[in-house]
Order: sequence, then C-alpha cells, then structure tokens
Amino acid sequence: MRTTVRSGIVILLLGLPPFLRTQAMQLPPDVEKLSAIAKETVEVKMDGPMLRWASKFLSAEDPDERKAAKLITNLKGIYVRSFEFDKEGAYTSAEVEELRAQFRPPVWSRVVGVRSQREGDNVDVFFKLEDEQMAGIVVIAAEAKELTVVNIVGPIDVDQLSDLGGEFGIPKLNAKTLPKSPIKSVAKADKGDQK
Amino acid sequence: MKSLRVLTLLLCASTVAAAGDHEFRSVVHSIESAYNVHHMHLPLLGVALFFARPAGVGGLKLAVFEGLKTPTDTADVTRVIESSLGPEWHLFVKVRSKGETAGETTLIYASPAGTHMRMLIVNVEPSEATVVEFNLNDRAIKKWMKEPGEEADNHSTHSHRAEQ
Repeated sequence: MRTTVRSGIVILLLGLPPFLRTQAMQLPPDVEKLSAIAKETVEVKMDGPMLRWASKFLSAEDPDERKAAKLITNLKGIYVRSFEFDKEGAYTSAEVEELRAQFRPPVWSRVVGVRSQREGDNVDVFFKLEDEQMAGIVVIAAEAKELTVVNIVGPIDVDQLSDLGGEFGIPKLNAKTLPKSPIKSVAKADKGDQK
Repeated sequence: MKSLRVLTLLLCASTVAAAGDHEFRSVVHSIESAYNVHHMHLPLLGVALFFARPAGVGGLKLAVFEGLKTPTDTADVTRVIESSLGPEWHLFVKVRSKGETAGETTLIYASPAGTHMRMLIVNVEPSEATVVEFNLNDRAIKKWMKEPGEEADNHSTHSHRAEQ
C-alpha cells in the first residue's frame, strides 16, 4: 500500500511546479498542529494551470505519454501533506479519525481500507463522486512514525491512472487490483470496509 | 588565442553568476535584511557553476550565507522570500525539519515560462542559508517528468558540488 502513496506523490512530482493560492488542502486543526511536533513536515501543492503547463511537455506521439497528458490536463490540483515523527505514538488514532471523517458519504466513498495490526500501517483511499464521475481521490496513510495525506482533485479515470504505471518513475500498477468504475467501487465499499 | 578563449569563458561564466535577475537579487537582499547577514563572496563561483551545471540547466545562480544569528521558522522564512517574488512564482514544495535547537526550512518555487521553467530553491538552516536559481530547458523538464526523483537528486548533488 505504500506503493499507492508513493505513486500519488510521484504523480505530483511529475507534474512539476504547482501553486498555492487557490485550493490548498484543509486539515483539521488538531492534525495541523502535528507540524509543531513532527520531525519533518513536507507540503507539496500543484494547481490545474501548472499541471496543464506540465502536460504540454508530454509527447502526443507516444501513446503512454498522450494518456498521461490527458489525465493531468483534466486535474484541478494535487496536494500532499506528510508528517514524519521521531517516535511512535506522536499522533493519536482520534486525530486520524478526525481527518478521515472529512471524507464522508454521500460525496465521498471509502473504497480501500487497510489495517495492519502488526506493522501499525493504516491506509484509506477515498473517491469523490460527482454526477457518477470520479472527481477526486484522497489517500490517508497512517504509519507508526509517519502520517501522509494525498489529495488529487479533478476528474480521474481509474483506467488512465493505471496507464501511468511504468512512466515517470511510477511503478507498474496492476489494473486488475484497481476498481473498474466508481460506481462498482461504492458498492464494494458498502459491503465491507476492511480489505 | 587559447588564453583569449579561456578569458572569454571566465568572463561569461562570471557574468552568469553576477548578473542575476531581479528576483534572485531581491531574495538575497531580503535574507540579508531579515537575518542581518551578508552572502559570502565565493571566488570563481561563476566558473564553478558553469562547469558544475547539469545538462539542460542554465542561468545557475547561487548565494550562500553563513552566521545566521536570528532563529528562523518556516512561516517567517516563507514570508521573507515571498515578499521578494512576483505572482509568477509558485511555491511547489515546502519542507520543515525540526532540529535539536532550531528548524531547517526548504522552499522550492517554480516559474513556468513557455518552453522553459525557472526554479528557485531556498534552504535556511539554524546558522546558514543557501539560495539557488536556475532555468530548465524543455529537454531537462522532460527528463524531470520521466525520472523526477533521480533528477532532483542530480540537481542537489550539483549544487552542493558548486558550493564546495
């Protein structure tokens, strides 16, 4: 699941520069306070115009790059916030729950929820649906010493997302493990949270 | 004739470092004013930057400050830097690391312009600061997009080499 987080971050980075003054990621106050105690806080922000500018550098002749350009062009922004701590237990499960609570139905659907008792790694992936189209993805990765939130805003085709695998340093994504459509994803999420 | 070429190269390379554009000089000046410090004079910096630059990178400028006495925090550093930059500069990455006595802040700004992009990287540590600005051409941008992590490492290594 770390690969998912990494992929999100790399998707951000591939787009190159970003922008802040529009739609920054809002974190609950208690989570925002974590930056005071974190060993390292990383914030990455990219907005739509910058992503569209970056997409111009992808070749229209290369099929994979063309698909990637199409995906990036439609995005409104990509935001990442990551906190790294010196020791375990720096943040509470209640603080993470407060973060997760921002992404509630009917607007948001949790499509992936991973709980690792042994490693203590918890990952949640939320899809935002608008008019039966996926309009955003949020990934929350809570590890023992690290908390990462990735927010991709804009229409996203999951099939296109898997096409990015192997490009721009993004690991190959197994299309079979990705939800085929947002609607199916919601149904899956409703049946059982834990995967 | 060879001496003339070398002299011309030295002059050109020095000009790259010394000329700088408005924003770079303004950022350097802001740091000097805010933290009561002066950037160091590094002999033959222009030559070093000319030879140390990675492919596709041009207009490399570097300023190093030592002996910062005022404690800095990320919000303060961001405010100081952004007071010198125009709206075309976008904050891309902000990193705050907590040290034992004071923190370290790294800010990466980008300014896209047609087929190239200007990048400004500011790093402020408890006792020293570094400002680097450079242009990436379209080939370098494509390389960044192909292997972003590797390219970031390359730029970091080259900047450190030039600084030394």
